Amino acid sequence: MSAELKQILTTDGIPLEISLKRAERKNKIKAFLLVAPLLFFLMITYIFPIGDMLMRSVDDKMVTNMLPNTFKSMENWDGTEMPSEEIFEAFYIDFQKLVEEKREGKLSTQLNYTKNGFKSIIKKLRRKSKTFEEGNYKEQIMAVHRRWADIDYWRAIKRHAPSYTTSKYLKGIDMYKNEEGKIVSVEEDRRIHRVLWLRTLEIAFFVTLLCFLMAYPIAYLLATIPMKYSNLLMICVLLPFWTSLLVRTASWMILLQQQGVVNDFFVMIGLVADDNRPEMMYNKTGTYVAMTQILLPFMVLPLYSVMKTISPSLMRAGKSLGGTPFVTFWKVYFPLTIPGIGAGCLLVFILAIGYYITPALVGGASGTLISNQIAFHMKSTLDWSFASAMGLMLLTGVLAIYWVYNKLVGIDNIKLG
Amino acid sequence: MKKLSKLLLVLSFALSISSSAFAVTVASWGGAYTESQKLGYGDPTAKKLGITINWVDYSGGLSEIKAQKEAGKITWDIIDVYAMDTINGCDEGLFVEFDFDKDFPPAPDGTPASKDFFTGMPSKCAVGNILYSWNYAYNTNNVKGTPKTIKDFFNTKKFPGKRAIYKGALTNLEIALAADGIKPGKGGKNIYKALNTDKGVERAMNKIKELCTDPNGGCVFWSAGAQPPEFLVSGEVVMATGWNGRFFNAEVGEGAPIKQVWDGQGLDYEYFVLVKGGPNEADAKKALAMMTSTEGLAGSAKYIAYAPWRKSSLKVMAKGEPWYKDGKTNMVPQMPTAPANTKNFFLVDAQFWADNSAELNEKFEAMKAGF
Repeated sequence: MSAELKQILTTDGIPLEISLKRAERKNKIKAFLLVAPLLFFLMITYIFPIGDMLMRSVDDKMVTNMLPNTFKSMENWDGTEMPSEEIFEAFYIDFQKLVEEKREGKLSTQLNYTKNGFKSIIKKLRRKSKTFEEGNYKEQIMAVHRRWADIDYWRAIKRHAPSYTTSKYLKGIDMYKNEEGKIVSVEEDRRIHRVLWLRTLEIAFFVTLLCFLMAYPIAYLLATIPMKYSNLLMICVLLPFWTSLLVRTASWMILLQQQGVVNDFFVMIGLVADDNRPEMMYNKTGTYVAMTQILLPFMVLPLYSVMKTISPSLMRAGKSLGGTPFVTFWKVYFPLTIPGIGAGCLLVFILAIGYYITPALVGGASGTLISNQIAFHMKSTLDWSFASAMGLMLLTGVLAIYWVYNKLVGIDNIKLG
Repeated sequence: MKKLSKLLLVLSFALSISSSAFAVTVASWGGAYTESQKLGYGDPTAKKLGITINWVDYSGGLSEIKAQKEAGKITWDIIDVYAMDTINGCDEGLFVEFDFDKDFPPAPDGTPASKDFFTGMPSKCAVGNILYSWNYAYNTNNVKGTPKTIKDFFNTKKFPGKRAIYKGALTNLEIALAADGIKPGKGGKNIYKALNTDKGVERAMNKIKELCTDPNGGCVFWSAGAQPPEFLVSGEVVMATGWNGRFFNAEVGEGAPIKQVWDGQGLDYEYFVLVKGGPNEADAKKALAMMTSTEGLAGSAKYIAYAPWRKSSLKVMAKGEPWYKDGKTNMVPQMPTAPANTKNFFLVDAQFWADNSAELNEKFEAMKAGF
């Protein structure tokens, strides 16, 4: 068969197969060139930043290079008792060099991330070390501030010895590696990140659920009523889209706070007593309400676009075959909308998991989510490696959900419109 | 005619390019605050030096300038920052270190700049700009009696109702201790001494927890500076901590039934820093010296109730009363640094927060999760 095929030549004498391949390759190159700008764009805006984040979150070379002598002399120190004079002297030598290069501030920032309190004692050490006498550095350094005589601070320095570290990831789940190399939890009154992860997932889950429950009927209505009404309804759905996020959040605050419009109305019609107004704002209820409203269009649109393609005759067929309205809906209509449900839920969930402005404004005591923490470390403490680590953990979570979805429903089934 | 207009167009375009090349860019917080800076000392300085000063808004923190530096394209010359950021940025080598008395002009009576400023600077890179207060205010319609002290803020028996407090640990721990009976001492020394121990932190946290879980009290947490006066006016809370300038605006500017209490106030500061390797460092340095002069700083207090850093500026204001732009409000009594307002106060300790903010905010958040 193949021998026969080889015989087929094009008019210019080249075998058809090769000629075809050539043409195809040309097309492929053309196609690639067409997507090349996009690919390039994605590389710059997506792949590189994520790679950079990954590097930042594990890279600890800066401190390793700042205190070479200290870490060398610390190699045999097991962290059970105060370091010896030799370590103090090595530290002093490294430190003097840093002061000369004016880099001790950077060191203090890095060390402060691991153990709070380093900033001021390094500043103090710089001032005092100018008048240090030669020899007996241990006593002189320990006299600068009581924290220098605290073994915990020296343990914290030693934790910076390796060039690469997973400590930021551990910190993201309130753990750290202690001196014996065991991974343990931080003190109880500082365990906050696990709470925040759970809270973020909880809020994202319920917001997705609420969005789904509300969007399904709306989308159905949109898809089935005559065009002239559905257009109007569509504008109502999209209107919030065109309003600023902050405006929408603020309006919910005005509506739902204890002295707000809704509560005033309840009191007026005698539903609740004036001194016993329900709290609907500055707690999780407030977050759910505001976020559901903001994210609702992201659920309605994919659902609508899928429902629009379902022929009404299918439902009629189901009924004529003897199904009750519920059975026809459940057996015929609902399965056909699953691609839209999948797309909508994924979209809303992923957006909800990264939300932080709205919860911070309306969430009250429970308004801090993991993204607030990322923003705090990006903007305030400048601990970008920790922020990167948490960002990557969030990304991994989203990818995991995507994977689960793919296993359960199949990603090919997804339909955005 | 047509040619002439074309020429003019080209000329003005060329001019705009060249002038923007010599422009100094200042990043600040926006809104009424930037307006007060622009009108108070930005425009006069630009006029005197013959340069252009561009004001851009940012939302605080050092992430932008750090990113600009890492990208190798710095676009800001001067930034208006918190104390903690001057320390962090100075440590990171982002800002220029000053030779204070040489770089900044003395007061009109010859007092050197370092003596004329209200307190010393937290880092070598900082020059003071305004002092603002974390005080509290109440709605006169909803509170029976007159709250006078910081203890009254925590007294839910005498003054029942919800309180609004800041969402993070900053200043909440300090006022909790002040209300719990610790005398702040000089500049709040005793408070920070207590906060440097685990016991002190626990004591402060418990005080706040008590207020927030009290059925007669309860807390609403605010995250944006506009929220506290808004909460008070809407009746959502009866008392709120906040920034005095915002309360002043609601009280004097809009005539809301709000009254401020200065007892136990935390004085906090805003600083200018000069970006190392900014696009126009030389001009920026000159402009900065002029903006933070006695006259300059007094100028901004005409438009907003934040206190100029220089003591000599207060004298200029007192002579010129009524100093507020409406022409009838005396500004000196509204200043956080006025003697009547500083009988019991603390200075927010930037170094303490630079050391401990991450840890204390985690603890504060953990406490909130337990409500």
